[in-house]
Amino acid sequence: MVSNAPGSPTLHNTAAMAVELTAITKRFGAFIANDGIDLAVRRGEIHAIIGENGAGKTTLMNILFGLLQPDEGSIRLNGEATDVTDPAAAIKAGLGMVHQHFKLVPSLSVADNVFLGMEIRRHGLIDHAAQIARTHELSKRFGLHVDPTERVGLLSVGIEQRIEILKVLVRGARTIILDEPTAVLTPQESRELFQTLRSFVAEGMTVIFISHHLEEVMEVSDTVTVLRNGKKVATRPTSELSKDELVRMMVGRDVSFARRPRAELQGEVILQVKDLWARDDRRLPALRNASFTVRAGEVVGIAGVAGNGQTELAEVLAGLRPASHGEAWLKGQNLTALSPAAIREAGLAHVPGDRMVRGVDGNATIAANTLMGRQHRAPWSRGGVLDWKAIGQNAGALIKRFDIRARGASDTVKRLSGGNIQKVVLAREFTNSADFLLIDQPTRGVDIGAQEAIHDEIMRQRAAGRAILLISVQLDELAALTDRILVMFNGRIMGEVAGDDADEDRIGMMMAGVSPQLEPA
Amino acid sequence: MEVLDKLVNVALIAATLRTTAPILLVALGGSFTTKAGIFNIGLEGQMLVGAFFAVIGSIWTGSAFAGVACGVAAALVFALAFAVLVVTFRANEVVVGLALNILAGGMTISLMKAIFGTRGSIVGHGIVGLPKVQIPGAQALLGSWAPLISGFTPIVYVSFVAVPLLVLFYNRTRLGLYIRVVGEKPEAAEALGISITRVRYIASLLCGLLAGLAGAHLSLGYITMFTENMSSGRGFMAVAILIFSNGDPLKVLAGCLLFGFADAFSLRLQTFGFPSYLVLTVPYVVALTALFALSYRARPTIIKETLASMQKLLSVDRNSAPADRNPQ
Repeated sequence: MVSNAPGSPTLHNTAAMAVELTAITKRFGAFIANDGIDLAVRRGEIHAIIGENGAGKTTLMNILFGLLQPDEGSIRLNGEATDVTDPAAAIKAGLGMVHQHFKLVPSLSVADNVFLGMEIRRHGLIDHAAQIARTHELSKRFGLHVDPTERVGLLSVGIEQRIEILKVLVRGARTIILDEPTAVLTPQESRELFQTLRSFVAEGMTVIFISHHLEEVMEVSDTVTVLRNGKKVATRPTSELSKDELVRMMVGRDVSFARRPRAELQGEVILQVKDLWARDDRRLPALRNASFTVRAGEVVGIAGVAGNGQTELAEVLAGLRPASHGEAWLKGQNLTALSPAAIREAGLAHVPGDRMVRGVDGNATIAANTLMGRQHRAPWSRGGVLDWKAIGQNAGALIKRFDIRARGASDTVKRLSGGNIQKVVLAREFTNSADFLLIDQPTRGVDIGAQEAIHDEIMRQRAAGRAILLISVQLDELAALTDRILVMFNGRIMGEVAGDDADEDRIGMMMAGVSPQLEPA
Repeated sequence: MEVLDKLVNVALIAATLRTTAPILLVALGGSFTTKAGIFNIGLEGQMLVGAFFAVIGSIWTGSAFAGVACGVAAALVFALAFAVLVVTFRANEVVVGLALNILAGGMTISLMKAIFGTRGSIVGHGIVGLPKVQIPGAQALLGSWAPLISGFTPIVYVSFVAVPLLVLFYNRTRLGLYIRVVGEKPEAAEALGISITRVRYIASLLCGLLAGLAGAHLSLGYITMFTENMSSGRGFMAVAILIFSNGDPLKVLAGCLLFGFADAFSLRLQTFGFPSYLVLTVPYVVALTALFALSYRARPTIIKETLASMQKLLSVDRNSAPADRNPQ
């Protein structure tokens, strides 16, 4: 292993191409995930693979790393035809993959995790000192700052990712694949990651990274390959591309993500939250002393790295989690004393963060899902009996209005794509004439095309005078839609910025827990 | 004061070490399965067959150590059966553990009847007990404190020496590390090519080994006899200790010493004429008290948060930035 360590010369280092995939096809039943994809990655470049969800990015990388076997096509690594039968073969050929979901052991130290499965031993016992020294050396060399002796369970997601990268490095990888690495990071952490990636390339290593984030692709990559619907659209040098061109290649048409124009129509206070506290499932305080208001015709955004109290805030407002202290007033009624049904009656519409758990019943039809929560009301029921004809007609109208791509109102919801399932939720929640809309991660796992449609719908609701609380981990989404952004860290609201002044650095600092007051102006 | 002196003295501490040994051994055995992510409720049964077959082996061979080997072998068979059902066939570990415990109880009674024609207990028949190890020079060195380190059976020494060995095992050996990884994050083990099945089998068998030793200590240690249900809940005590200690050897030792002391203390009280049934509840009262004390620790977070929110409520300037960043 040591002879393969990064930086030391490897045997077959002469080929110009680190990875060559030729005519890769992969089918899952009738669905073609990869359709004759060619991919050539030059040694020493950062190669981004970009595409919408379901475009086939992850499938292609899983094939390269030996987690899946292609139905057709061939793989050459460093100029040599290679049969990548399993990840062990890929690692042997100098590949390393950092997955989206980390596989670290919380009670072990950083160094123990890095060397797990290939421990350094002396006299049969694990040599912790040597592992710590080696981890320290690697982390210094590539700017992956970690304390090798610390327990992983106490560390943040950003640092966990660094450990996963160190794991790959210590196994001698020269070509590193990263699957959506920035999804869990703050903007600052992303920037540090990019610096690390550049230092890899400076040492002659190769980086392949999957993303659907346009800005970061433009910022960090040398070459971009765009996939759409399982096919390759193009491979181009990043410097020749504009963001608009990239989107057009990804989606197949023009999409705008500029800040939405808006009229100033600030109304009365609809939601007032005062000193709200709540606990998470482990009974630890997760929401701490939140106070804010949302007015009619206003979109207030909640920014923050996932897991900093946003979920708990949403659940308390929806009545799904008790508040341990404080109040939340919706048009003069204290929500913390009401049941979820009573809160909805009082004027809440809720688009939950996890739509498959709380948004829809996947096994039910679209018609049934658009009915849920209002089945006792006209026109859906009359005299306590459901009027399925009216329900079907209503669902048909919603399918048309919200552009839900389905065969009809009797289609089962779980058959739909993520974006269309989300539209089913929006269709139900946005037609309840509720005054307060609580929208949690509306475009998570949703295609760019559908994202635009969902954003349009949120802006229409704003124009109709609704008070909207928009929770999102995507800063560009918040910048496009909101009037004000509240930044959460560790359960607290760290500060507020105006939506048209959404400076990524300032928000990023607050997301990482730096209070805005402490910053020099 | 005189009564207290009679109650608490060197003999009591020596008795505590003796009574701690079997619980400690079986709990350390259970630490392997606990660390490997298996909830092993079958410790009681493994201990019981260990005790029974140690007696049988001792009678047949006339050697105490061969008896111990027989007991260990029987416990290993039970541990293997447990592993096959739980690890390979993925049966529910509580159901399998309970079933094996019931089997152990019934089997020892039936075999006792079949072989010795009696119920209740096996006494005599030429059972050879374990010798007591007299450490040379202990008397000269410690005087009246000598019983603290000398005069125990070999298994007592084994059980206490096993504690630091297990600490070393979990922290410095590859197998120990893999057992922890398999229990804590099986996905990580799988991703690194560590066989979860193999590690769990090894952990189960190591558990059987120590549980068998613990059983042999019961029947060949200080009293050379076997009685029905001889383990009398020690395996379950061990399970309770394992839940609290999460299988960490030092915490296991602390828990076992507590139970061992309660056991020895209750025996001592009996000789002072306290009602025996009341005295026998002492170890269980200790167990419940320990349980309560541990769960009580969860309370301070609630109190702290309420204090923090009360302060917020009472503070005049609501807009000032919260000073404490981490009230938990």
